[in-house]
Amino acid sequence: MAVAAFSPEWALAFKDEINKSPVYHDAAKGWKWTVGLVVEAEPDKKFPEPKGVVMDLYEGQARDIRVGSAEDAQACDFVITGTYSRWKQVATKELDATRGMLQGKLKLKGDLPTVVRYTKASQEMTECTTRVPVNWPDEA
Amino acid sequence: MHDPRAGELARRGVTAPVEYADGDDASAFAQMLGGLIEANVTSRPEKRRDFDRLRARVGIFVTDIGEGVTLDFGDGHLVVRNGLQPARDVTIRADADTVMQLSNVRIGFAGMPNYLDATGRQVAGRMLKGQLRIQGLVGNLTTLNQVTRVFSVAE
Repeated sequence: MAVAAFSPEWALAFKDEINKSPVYHDAAKGWKWTVGLVVEAEPDKKFPEPKGVVMDLYEGQARDIRVGSAEDAQACDFVITGTYSRWKQVATKELDATRGMLQGKLKLKGDLPTVVRYTKASQEMTECTTRVPVNWPDEA
Repeated sequence: MHDPRAGELARRGVTAPVEYADGDDASAFAQMLGGLIEANVTSRPEKRRDFDRLRARVGIFVTDIGEGVTLDFGDGHLVVRNGLQPARDVTIRADADTVMQLSNVRIGFAGMPNYLDATGRQVAGRMLKGQLRIQGLVGNLTTLNQVTRVFSVAE
């Protein structure tokens, strides 16, 4: 069943997808940092307030994923920022997250060598988002 | 993490290893690559030694985003420029995924990139398939190995 984009239900479904993925489990061994996703507001897309996704990822497991404020996400060890439309493109496979970062469509803050070392894990995490059926507010 | 205005700091007497020729207009790709190299050479002395010895103009073009950068190494300093500039010694052309894989190549015996483990074999396979093209390889193998070492994040 589809869930509302960036809602607590979406966070739970996303967490389940990550924890079901053997690819992520193997690729993220050694990862022990929090990741924040900042979803910038786009009122014209019916996404009026920014949101933050706070991900507690540890050794190939998603221990917790919750939706909070943008400030919550910005306090994480690694922060990826993009507009609502960009994140929707990532979740619908229109935009590869790696390419998005190289093009500046998604902005990354955090230790770059560490992120690059875990490219495969981040790609699989992106795949996990695409497996969550989502109701997008601008399509309602 | 990385500062496209590092050149201003250098002019004020603070030595930054990486400078962005385009300043605030440095592309996201230029900032990522420069930031990656800066983080590597400031945190790992063995990479700093390679960085200090490197004298070369290296181009990297990411085929699936249609963007390139030119890396000018010399005298323990790197200037990152948007786009491919002329008179490059080595030019690497690959898709984004392969560029990321390249930076995960492990450094093995005698400081040589290891193309025998899983990541190395994938990179070598992409080269054989033409998904990774390196121009200027002949005569610049030492330079390419140095660049790979400076660029590699593998532990």
